[in-house]
Amino acid sequence: MDTMLFTERSLWTMLHGMALGGGALMGLAIALFSLRAMRFSGAPGATADRQALYLTWLIVATAALLWSSVLAGTYVTFPAYRAAPPEGIADLAPYPKALIQSVPGTAWLHSFAMEAKEHVPWIAAMLATAVAFVGLRYRAKLLGDRQLNDMATVLVAICFVLVSFVALLGVLVNKVAPVE
Amino acid sequence: MASIGRSQEAISNGAAMAAFLAAGIGAFALGVIVILNETGLFAAPALYAPAGGVTGRTTLAAAIWLIGWAVLHRRWRDRQVEARVVFALSLLGIGVGIVLTLPPVWKLF
Repeated sequence: MDTMLFTERSLWTMLHGMALGGGALMGLAIALFSLRAMRFSGAPGATADRQALYLTWLIVATAALLWSSVLAGTYVTFPAYRAAPPEGIADLAPYPKALIQSVPGTAWLHSFAMEAKEHVPWIAAMLATAVAFVGLRYRAKLLGDRQLNDMATVLVAICFVLVSFVALLGVLVNKVAPVE
Repeated sequence: MASIGRSQEAISNGAAMAAFLAAGIGAFALGVIVILNETGLFAAPALYAPAGGVTGRTTLAAAIWLIGWAVLHRRWRDRQVEARVVFALSLLGIGVGIVLTLPPVWKLF
């Protein structure tokens, strides 16, 4: 009998967490570094304009990855996670939420970790979108205007922390009760 | 007059501050919606049953975010606004919103 190496549900989970979420996390890290490292004062030159263009598209791509991860997580992975097991079933492995809640030592993985993951990523996506918009509209000013740069940096930093936080929680949940 | 308007639009910070404040409003809205749900005062209807109530809560918060952004952008896009105050309000909304979405906080209500 052939056995699938990865189920469709687990592939979606990997896409959500590692490809989309992981890609967004990398983008945020690069954006955070770039916002500081590529700052300039005075009139922008050709180099600054080019750097601002690259940074803008990086932040736009990062926001897109983040939204993709959020939507895939909410509408694909989360339903698979929270599916209710039939009455009387003994093996709860196909039902991650029920499995986690059945053991007192792992119940917090739902009551805290997954509950936090339901909403926090949406806030991160809003922040990333705001910064992406500012990059598109202001371009080189994002690097040349000190105040604008500082504000964008703060928001990207908050976004990075939030995404790191929920990513870690996701790793913990998937380690104990993977969506298969 | 058109060129002066375009120049002003190019240098004013209004559009940026609108985007930042809208994110704060969206975050705050999500936090409030979550608390209202957890206290049983208001539960946004689920838009997709397999995912449950989170679909309604987040969609409602996203709608508030986008509407707020549209309104603020329309009002501020050609203006220079007080960045420190607006950004502080944005951070306040973001901070409160994040805190309200965390389960341990729900027990306080």
